[in-house]
Amino acid sequence: MTTPPHAALNNTLWLIRRELWENRSIWLMPLILGGLLLLAALFGRVDIEVPAHAGSGVGVSLLFGFGITFFLVMSIYSTWYLLDCLYTDRKDRSVLFWKSLPVSDTETVLSKLATALLVIPVVYFVVADLTSLLIAFIISVRASSLLGGSLWRMDLWLQLQALWLYLIVTLAIWYLPVAGWLMLVSAWARRAVMLWSILPPLALYLAERWFLGTDVLGTQIAGRLFGYIAVAFHARADGLAHLDGPAVAASAWDLMNPAAFLSNAATWAGAAVGFALIYGVIQVRYRRTDAG
Amino acid sequence: MTAIIEAHGLSKRYGAHLALDHADFTIQPGRIVGLIGPNGAGKTTAMRAILGLTPYEGSLSVLGREPFRERAALMRDVCFIADVAVLPSWLRVDRAIDFVGGVHPRFRRERALELLARTQITRKQTLRELSKGMKTQVHLALAMAIDAKLLVLDEPTLGLDLLARRGFYDALLNDYMDASRTILITTHQVEEIENLLTDVMFIERGRIALDCPVEELGTRFAVVAVNEDQTETARAAKPFYERRMLGKTLFYYETPDLQKLGAFGELHTPSIADLFVAKLSRQAA
Repeated sequence: MTTPPHAALNNTLWLIRRELWENRSIWLMPLILGGLLLLAALFGRVDIEVPAHAGSGVGVSLLFGFGITFFLVMSIYSTWYLLDCLYTDRKDRSVLFWKSLPVSDTETVLSKLATALLVIPVVYFVVADLTSLLIAFIISVRASSLLGGSLWRMDLWLQLQALWLYLIVTLAIWYLPVAGWLMLVSAWARRAVMLWSILPPLALYLAERWFLGTDVLGTQIAGRLFGYIAVAFHARADGLAHLDGPAVAASAWDLMNPAAFLSNAATWAGAAVGFALIYGVIQVRYRRTDAG
Repeated sequence: MTAIIEAHGLSKRYGAHLALDHADFTIQPGRIVGLIGPNGAGKTTAMRAILGLTPYEGSLSVLGREPFRERAALMRDVCFIADVAVLPSWLRVDRAIDFVGGVHPRFRRERALELLARTQITRKQTLRELSKGMKTQVHLALAMAIDAKLLVLDEPTLGLDLLARRGFYDALLNDYMDASRTILITTHQVEEIENLLTDVMFIERGRIALDCPVEELGTRFAVVAVNEDQTETARAAKPFYERRMLGKTLFYYETPDLQKLGAFGELHTPSIADLFVAKLSRQAA
């Protein structure tokens, strides 16, 4: 295929727009979540007793809590999106329409990957940010000046932005192999994508334990799924969850650990596996046009 | 003029089943070709190979390109409508136009809007809100607004009522077809496309059983309605198929000697539908 680069970019932008048309949840879900949090801030209890020494920490914890909520919803949604994105159009046969257009399978696969790893996180980032601002405003009007005041700190907001950006970049790299696997299942399975995404790794894991007595695969998978925080952040990260003690004041700058993340062999080994899987996804997408 | 499609020894295997078995055919520009066959004969597989949707064995060239390797590039010059159900239900009509206009260099937006303006469809409707006939109108408007060299239609009117089917083919002939275009249609509803074809291809068990321009059907085939007393002589002239009807027997002949056959009874050129039944029943027997 000889597509000039500007045409590939043009196609990719249209394809991403297409994803936003099809999957309105990408922006509806964070908006609804943000709306619920706003309602909670408007009508919920805000007259919490705040110990004077922990004042600023409460604000940080509050914003951090919002962030985690958005983040959890996003992880669940992205997983579903990746499993679904190359499967639904085969199931309803609309893949035949998409494939009747001069758009390559590589462009299709990469635009869906970019939607999952960049577009969705950025949408959540923007909505979470706006929600936090509004909530900070509401709380500072409704609650004690101590709690409210702790939310209006320029450096805090800068930290939040930096934290989000760091999250987006590192998450995309770290979870590339997971995204690759989910997309491979989505491009390949004729039905039951959820089962296909879980059963083969589970079977391999059990087979390895029974026949070889080792646990390499299990360790790798668990490390990939749950090891992100440990690799990308300093160990003090959990300090923020507590309201007492000096760790409260820890700034986001001290939490992020890009040097460790970028120099960790697991980061790049995972990325390599991710690229290999994505290559596989493109090959499968080339050949498969039906499901069910 | 160079051929639009050239296939030599085109084969496709699904496990033990040979869906296409060394099929050879050539399609010239400016023709409207009907690829006709019973279910499971290899029609859809042949279409998929031509559209680059499936790998195959043998050689296949569409507009000088190798379809499977170059599908995306090929689709700039080829337009394709599978059956009516394939437009995604969540897509809005105006966005379908935006999208195709965005990615297709040969799409003329004004043309699509003009074609849609003749229908009852409004631009803010999503496909799921439209009837099957309206979905076809949307798809046809999109396809006809593309300045393609080859239009491939795979069972394009499946599930449509008679009015919608007639409307579909009328639009195709009146508003789309000209000498610079080629259309390839598969269907098993032969009667429906009989009058618009310039060429017929019968496909059976993965092979091309007949490939003939419509204007040559009269010299290549004949059917004679023979009275009871003449049946033995007619049978001796080696028909490839016979069928009893209303006290007469219809005998079908290939490369007929028209003068000789005329003596047995009333002579006709068989319709494509009749020829299809005759050719394929004979082979099944």
